[in-house]
Amino acid sequence: MKNKLDFIQNLDKDIKEAVTENFYNQDNELVLKINLKDLKKICLYFFKDLKFYLLSAFAADESKNDGNKFKIRYIFSHSSIDLFIIIETETGGTFPSLSEEIPALNWYEREMKDLFGLIPEGHPDPRPLMLFPENYPQDIQNMHPLRKDYPFNFRPEFKKYGEYNYNKDVKGDGVFNILVGPVHAGIIEPGHFRFSMSGEPILQLEIRHFWKHRGIEKIAEGKTISEALSLAEKISGDHCVAHSLAFLAAAEKILNIKIPENALYIRTIYAELERLLCNINDFAWLFQDAGYSFGAQETFVLKEDIMELNKYLSGSRFNKGILSLGGINTCGNIDNLRKNVLKEKLSNFNKRYLNLKKMLLNSSTIGERFEETGYINKETILDLCALGFAARASGVPSDTRKEHPYLIYDKLRFNSKVLKNRDVFARLLIRFYDIEESFSIITQCLNELPAEDINKSGREYADNNVNNTGNNISKNKSKNDRCIIAKDDKIDAAQQLSTNRLRSWALGYCESQRGNIMHFVELDEKSRISRWKIRDPSFHNWQLIEFAVIGDIIADFPIVNKSLNLSYAGNDL
Amino acid sequence: MFNIIKTRIKEGIKTKKINIEDIKKDNIVIFNEELKNKLLNKSKNKNFTNNISVRVVDSGSCNACLHEMSALTNPYYDMERFGFKFVAAPKHADVLMVAGCVARNMYSALLKTYENVPYPKFVVAIGDCAMNGGVFKDSYATLGGIQDKLTVDILIKGCPPEPIDILAGLLLAFGK
Ligand code: SF4
Repeated sequence: MKNKLDFIQNLDKDIKEAVTENFYNQDNELVLKINLKDLKKICLYFFKDLKFYLLSAFAADESKNDGNKFKIRYIFSHSSIDLFIIIETETGGTFPSLSEEIPALNWYEREMKDLFGLIPEGHPDPRPLMLFPENYPQDIQNMHPLRKDYPFNFRPEFKKYGEYNYNKDVKGDGVFNILVGPVHAGIIEPGHFRFSMSGEPILQLEIRHFWKHRGIEKIAEGKTISEALSLAEKISGDHCVAHSLAFLAAAEKILNIKIPENALYIRTIYAELERLLCNINDFAWLFQDAGYSFGAQETFVLKEDIMELNKYLSGSRFNKGILSLGGINTCGNIDNLRKNVLKEKLSNFNKRYLNLKKMLLNSSTIGERFEETGYINKETILDLCALGFAARASGVPSDTRKEHPYLIYDKLRFNSKVLKNRDVFARLLIRFYDIEESFSIITQCLNELPAEDINKSGREYADNNVNNTGNNISKNKSKNDRCIIAKDDKIDAAQQLSTNRLRSWALGYCESQRGNIMHFVELDEKSRISRWKIRDPSFHNWQLIEFAVIGDIIADFPIVNKSLNLSYAGNDL
Repeated sequence: MFNIIKTRIKEGIKTKKINIEDIKKDNIVIFNEELKNKLLNKSKNKNFTNNISVRVVDSGSCNACLHEMSALTNPYYDMERFGFKFVAAPKHADVLMVAGCVARNMYSALLKTYENVPYPKFVVAIGDCAMNGGVFKDSYATLGGIQDKLTVDILIKGCPPEPIDILAGLLLAFGK
């Protein structure tokens, strides 16, 4: 399974026969077009036999072009080969549900049902997912917002439409339910949890999410790339760099834009700074929830210092607005001065972090609470296709930086640690490794940062294209701009040219602190978004919590929750 | 641990200084003209002096605003030195601090929380989303910004607003 290019040759014979068409959209994106009737066979072949991982599944409305048609795509990948398998099929209204066999598809299929009105036949739990029965009309045929004929701002009247039903009840002597949320006691995002308990231990947890469903995918339709980029920053605020990176990666692939070497390094630095910040933040909250205030406050101070460093580097405490199509905006540039400050600060942070780590590992209370709490089995991880450190703490390798190297990760030296302990403590240890790797990666990037060879490739690309159309105006303007990319208006001009387009869609992915982020971006002829599927790692990992807390006492729930620290906003979209 | 304590004792932490006179007012909008009066009456009641309890509700933010709010409790901003504190229940609160646009699914929960805050109550809206819904203004899944749904007394602009701005807004409005 090592060779990408004759991958298709080595598949089983009847699978090969079922594929009606295959082509490479990118050199690591293999598209297999199949008929709907073969869907089950082929998905199960990849998932069960070849042990591929499900990364995303989504529909797209193709009705405009011909008839009432929807395309459904399933994306699979494997940790040992840099290849994405995209299984593509068409349907008029129904498709076979695979949730029983591939539990990770559960939410995806319900999502398609809500947003497109496609019916997953045989789904074990076909309740609405994001269009709550209380707030959205369920009887109306046309309440399927992601269909193209649904006006993006149409709002049905706000009133009570129906009731929410819980999935399964636990019954028996002394069993009681505790309902929590959607508004929580702390400064936490909204989500609803129902614990079924008998005495102290939790028998069952049912989570209900999507309170913050804001319809990002619909809003984005018809927007230009730069408008969509600002939306990408609002998917999950603490991961704004990662989401923008993933989105831009896809857009740049479609438009065939080459990014200057220097900008690649800078993007990596920002991506790692974000990972560092989020890990330190989680680390602080774990201290806090275990009742260790001294450690928590000390870590919050460290977090605040990193945010202030971000502000110094880019003018924004979350590094918002530094990325742009083709490279980096001027505000995010790392010149010699900033480089030195960054180096100095990092060595200071590193020292303080090591002290904190030592303190935490020496504390017996912390050990008591974190060890043997919140077990997540390897089988659960594989079934739900969990991502990122949650998977790595349970013995399943999952790191996009290694599996599908992007930016300059193939040139960097780093490890992606896998542990076998499965508990909260293991997830904490994985964070320690991640933090240390982030420090080392940033240092490597800073040491090897190519001299500021301003915007060579980016600008040349745009200039050439502008020249082709006989429009020289922007070339004259280019003398003064100091950003590492071609200026916006030139890229915009380049976007208008479809000659350079090899494809209309692409996958954009990156490894955020929580795990793999997968974006699917499809552009129309005018380079406006026609379909954008966003998948935050939280979408996979939330379902883990239902399994992680079983048998634990309810007082441990905050710790188990924080040990995964998932995004509600990125999940709800 | 001793290393950390040693450094702390040596270096200390400089809590951010705020002077009411120096506050940049362009990010802070106070809608409620009567707010000051109300507060003056309120502060006659001894129980309320120097003690404003804040309840946070997220009705559809991207969570960056929440990060900034929780930063208010860290030693750099330490809002408790001015008597502001976050409380766990709306019944204990004087101020409802809301972030994000109003997501359709969250609207009823937001209203319930609002109703449970005892009178006199104030609403502080955090961030551009809360102002008018921001980019989510027209979406099928939202109902616009907080301003369209609740009477907002103080609005703090920014995406996300920095903690220092949030603190400044609170100070300005509650006249500490
Ligand atoms: S104002 Fe900005 S930071 Fe705050 S919730 Fe809205 S998008 Fe996020």
